[in-house]
Amino acid sequence: EDAAEESNVSAELIALRKRLVDEWNAWRALRKRELADERGHRAGRRSPSSEDKEEIE
Amino acid sequence: MRPILLQGHERSLTQIKFNREGDLLFSCSKDHVINVWFSHNGERLGTYNGHNGTIWTVDVDPESKFMVSGSADNTLRLWSVQTGKNLFTWEFPTAVKRVDFNDDGTQVVCITEQRMGHQCAIRVFEINRDGDGSDQSPDPIYFFNPIGSKATVCAFTNVPDVIFTGHESGKVALFNLKKEEEMNNNERAHGDTVTDLQLSKDRTYCITSSKDKSARIHDTKTLQVIKTFTTETPLNSASLMPNRPYVLLGGGQEAMSVTTTSLRQGKFETRFWHKIFEEEVGRVKGHFGPINTNLLCFWGEDGFVRVHHFDDSFFKAKPYGDLEIAD
Repeated sequence: EDAAEESNVSAELIALRKRLVDEWNAWRALRKRELADERGHRAGRRSPSSEDKEEIE
Repeated sequence: MRPILLQGHERSLTQIKFNREGDLLFSCSKDHVINVWFSHNGERLGTYNGHNGTIWTVDVDPESKFMVSGSADNTLRLWSVQTGKNLFTWEFPTAVKRVDFNDDGTQVVCITEQRMGHQCAIRVFEINRDGDGSDQSPDPIYFFNPIGSKATVCAFTNVPDVIFTGHESGKVALFNLKKEEEMNNNERAHGDTVTDLQLSKDRTYCITSSKDKSARIHDTKTLQVIKTFTTETPLNSASLMPNRPYVLLGGGQEAMSVTTTSLRQGKFETRFWHKIFEEEVGRVKGHFGPINTNLLCFWGEDGFVRVHHFDDSFFKAKPYGDLEIAD
């Protein structure tokens, strides 16, 4: 019945939710890409003990 | 959705943790023991004996080989998950309130309590994974006292040597262990004590709960608050549901008033919130701990763990339409 109720939500609300999801997905995609890059770097250097390069801005 | 009741603790539970696969559930309690259970049927697999005080915290490594626990007996202990053997014990001047393994199980971070002239301290130990695990160094590789308000929760981020901390004041911070400096903080992340912390699978974001009645999702890189979930009761716990866009928030009343109010009165509730829309979508009576893909796990002051299995319809349902939401 939750699903049925949701079908009545206004167009504005649907637009808002779409925007929120788009923002979330864009942020997730960015962080996932960065993480993959960083892990690639670390694996490439093959010296797990000397990782002082990582900086969080 | 009849819950499986895990009976085996004689006093209230303090923390529960699933292993990475989600087939094992570890619970620790004020009764000085740690139990491990099969999460699918609630059968007890074993007990870890050795602590002489309330066990506040537990964590298991990604291979389910080693488990660590922290206790009011002022020790941090390393255990063999399989044999139940206490492999190594580290001793401190005060109680251990929180432990966390890093991503590959090679380091453990722990928080010790501020008490009797001792400052709150955070230590990191290297875990030697060779052999049977009993050959460990007694000395931490990192040791520091958090700046300002004492730390209540902590966890490794995905950046080596950087940990995320939550504090009594409501502050959250990023601390670089190697440089021994606070890299970034958000003094106003919460208005009161941070009570729980859980990182996302890739550790790029996390959720915190607080006595200030809210839970928040933070970017673990920038500490930017991404989402806020505001409730009407102090929260003891917050959890991210893997692969579904929901968070679970547990709370109900101050720990102090637990003894005067029956659990049955329904003061403790688990709230389901939509992670993206910041809307409450449902409630279940009872408290809760961490969850895996198809389990919801409650723990109560009565010493029981209740494990609920979600049925397929829950995972297939798309109450908000066809929007694809990244984990």
